[in-house]
Amino acid sequence: MTWPATPSPETFVLRLFVTGTTTRSQRAIANIRKICDEYLTGRCDLEVVDVYLHPEATRDYQIVATPTLVKILPEPLRRIVGDLSDRARVLASLNIPLAGGPVEALP
Amino acid sequence: MSVNDDVLRALEARNRALEAELEEATATLDAIRNGEVDAVVVGGPAGQIVYTLENADRPYRVIVEQMREGAVTLGGDGTILYCNQSFATLIDQPSDQVVGQSIFDFVAEHTVLETVFGSATTAGQSIELTLLTPLGDPVPSNISIVELAVEIGMDRMLCMIVTDLRQNYQRAREVAEANRRLAREIADRTRIEESLVIALDAAEMGSWDLDLASGKAIRSVRHDAIFGHEPMLADWSLDRTLSHFIAADREAAAAAFHAAEKTGRLDFERRIQRAGDGAVRWVHLRGRTFHREGRPERIAGIITDNTERRLVEEQLRQSLKMEAIGQLTGGVAHDFNNLLMIIGGSLESLARRAQLGERAQKLLDAAQVGVARGAKLNQQLLAFARRQDMHDDVVCLTDLLPTFETLLDRAIGEGVTVEIQQEPELWPCRTDAHQLETAILNLAFNARDAMANSGKLSLATANVTIGEEEARRFDAQAGDYVAVCVSDIGPGIDPEVAARVFEPFFTTKELGKGTGLGLSQVYGFARQSGGFVRFDSVVGQGTTVTIYLPRAEPVAAPSPIIEPASVRGTADGSVLLVEDDADVRAAASAMLEELGYEIVEVASGDAALEVLDGGRPVDLVFTDVIMASGMSGIELARTINERRPGLPVLLTSGYTAQKLSPTSIHGELPLLRKPYTLAQLSEALGGLQRGRGPKAAGGGGVVAV
Repeated sequence: MTWPATPSPETFVLRLFVTGTTTRSQRAIANIRKICDEYLTGRCDLEVVDVYLHPEATRDYQIVATPTLVKILPEPLRRIVGDLSDRARVLASLNIPLAGGPVEALP
Repeated sequence: MSVNDDVLRALEARNRALEAELEEATATLDAIRNGEVDAVVVGGPAGQIVYTLENADRPYRVIVEQMREGAVTLGGDGTILYCNQSFATLIDQPSDQVVGQSIFDFVAEHTVLETVFGSATTAGQSIELTLLTPLGDPVPSNISIVELAVEIGMDRMLCMIVTDLRQNYQRAREVAEANRRLAREIADRTRIEESLVIALDAAEMGSWDLDLASGKAIRSVRHDAIFGHEPMLADWSLDRTLSHFIAADREAAAAAFHAAEKTGRLDFERRIQRAGDGAVRWVHLRGRTFHREGRPERIAGIITDNTERRLVEEQLRQSLKMEAIGQLTGGVAHDFNNLLMIIGGSLESLARRAQLGERAQKLLDAAQVGVARGAKLNQQLLAFARRQDMHDDVVCLTDLLPTFETLLDRAIGEGVTVEIQQEPELWPCRTDAHQLETAILNLAFNARDAMANSGKLSLATANVTIGEEEARRFDAQAGDYVAVCVSDIGPGIDPEVAARVFEPFFTTKELGKGTGLGLSQVYGFARQSGGFVRFDSVVGQGTTVTIYLPRAEPVAAPSPIIEPASVRGTADGSVLLVEDDADVRAAASAMLEELGYEIVEVASGDAALEVLDGGRPVDLVFTDVIMASGMSGIELARTINERRPGLPVLLTSGYTAQKLSPTSIHGELPLLRKPYTLAQLSEALGGLQRGRGPKAAGGGGVVAV
């Protein structure tokens, strides 16, 4: 896949909080991987956190439910709850335009 | 612009951020309300707690139900709160009946389980226990117990995973059994290999295994030792094997290895030069070719040093040949003695009866000389055939040396000097002094002829101890011997000729110069004495012949006395003559008549006994030993001794005395050797009548009966 040239591609730092192998968590993992592959090739730092194993990690980002995707960078910090199957909503929350590269800011 | 504008802008930004937060909160709430989440996280004083929503953990339940291990949750008192199907199957009960029972009802080791219960942590621990089933056999199991973290104030909860170890145990048993079998097989093989090593070593065989691709060989210690490498070399190749073969044999050895790749077998005997002492040795290689995928891969086999065996075999062949020739020679000599007896006896009778002219008398004398020479020749033949009447005296050779020296000086002429080297403390030995004298004379003549009448002849004596191995080479007994050694400095002879020197009538001398019986006499005499002869000759250096005579305990040995025989006047009395050969009988009868005896002639032992039983007066019995039919002379003598004790019997033979003695009764009978002269017959019969046997030199001896 070719990626449209951008002047300064930013790296996305994402963190996905899940609960082990529950269905929605599994689905959320699969969905965000696809989005990263398609829209953020080479500039996506994704970390999946199992809250069963690291319950304290939820405190820093004020996680109230799983699965939750947190966009740490670029700012502002954003949380998206659910299995991330509504791609348009996910892209909008991540501030990624549907057609191409990221737009600086939402109006 | 005013401050108001800034405030306004700040408020607007704040408003936007709040709106975004609100939007996010709303979205989160919607998501929770719509069931898009699996768990909620609640912060509290005990930390962050994750609450999984119902149905969210279905994959876990499926996994737990499907797994082969038993899964159980337990209350703090051991009550089973939940168990999966595998656990129920394991203890052979329906799962809904298991829930509510105590885990302690299903475990044999109560105390152990209690300890584990007490010390269980969230990290978990694992232990092997025996699971009890109401009907079946106990099940050895591995049990892992984990303490489940619960909220403060809640009851303790434990999770347990049970693994059936029966299959593991079964496999372990099978592995152990396989291991044991393998160990046994290895032990068996090791034992076989060890026996093989022992067997190869006992057989003095080296083993080798040659890899054809690399040309390298694995070998045993003895393999290298046979090639003269002790201790063994670090590595070995076919080239090294071949390089050891002497030049004449190398090509054949290489060809044998080459051929073995095709024929599958290696078997050849060739000479190597041993490393170290450089000795040339015969080695025998045997091997088999092993194939891989139809191509020769390696040849493995054994090697033996055959040098000693070949030597012994050669000696054995030699002694068998000599034995055969001896048998033949003895038989021929016997028959000739009978003929000489007839001729000699008849001539003697003729000479006494007829008045002859001078010319006729000369012819008769010549004929009698011929008979004497023939008889002497026959004596030598019989000596070789070891059928000589031997005196078995204990003799100290040192006492005889002066006599020998005089004899040698006279025999070999002036051109050859004689040197005597004597062992001062020489052991006594057992032999016949006369025969030894003859043997030394024979050797001296050979030495003289070899040196063409000028040179040096040495006669030496020594004490020698012969070991087993050397004794085997000469087909003799190991032990102490007295050696008499005659050496010359003549041209020597090559080994092929040397191998034949003891054969009768074999001579290297010009036609008419030698009889070919000299060394045969030496050989036969030494063998008959219980010793042996060694012949060493080096071309260009000379020849040494050594006679080995067995050592004897010293006794005061009287030197043999030789008395001249003479015809005693006219005898009287009647003689019973027993002889199967009519011509010999006629000659003997004529001689007896000549001496004045009355004669009764019979042709067999049975006939003789008839005469005696018939009551005819007989003063003497004169009988042949070997007769074609009926009893032998010895048997006859024995019977007479029983029936007519005191009646003198004189034996005569053209063959041998000792050979014919199946002695069962004690006593000795005098023996007269054929052909005998009238004088010898007279002496023997006279002696018998006077109550003693004839003297040895009279051509007689004694025979035990």
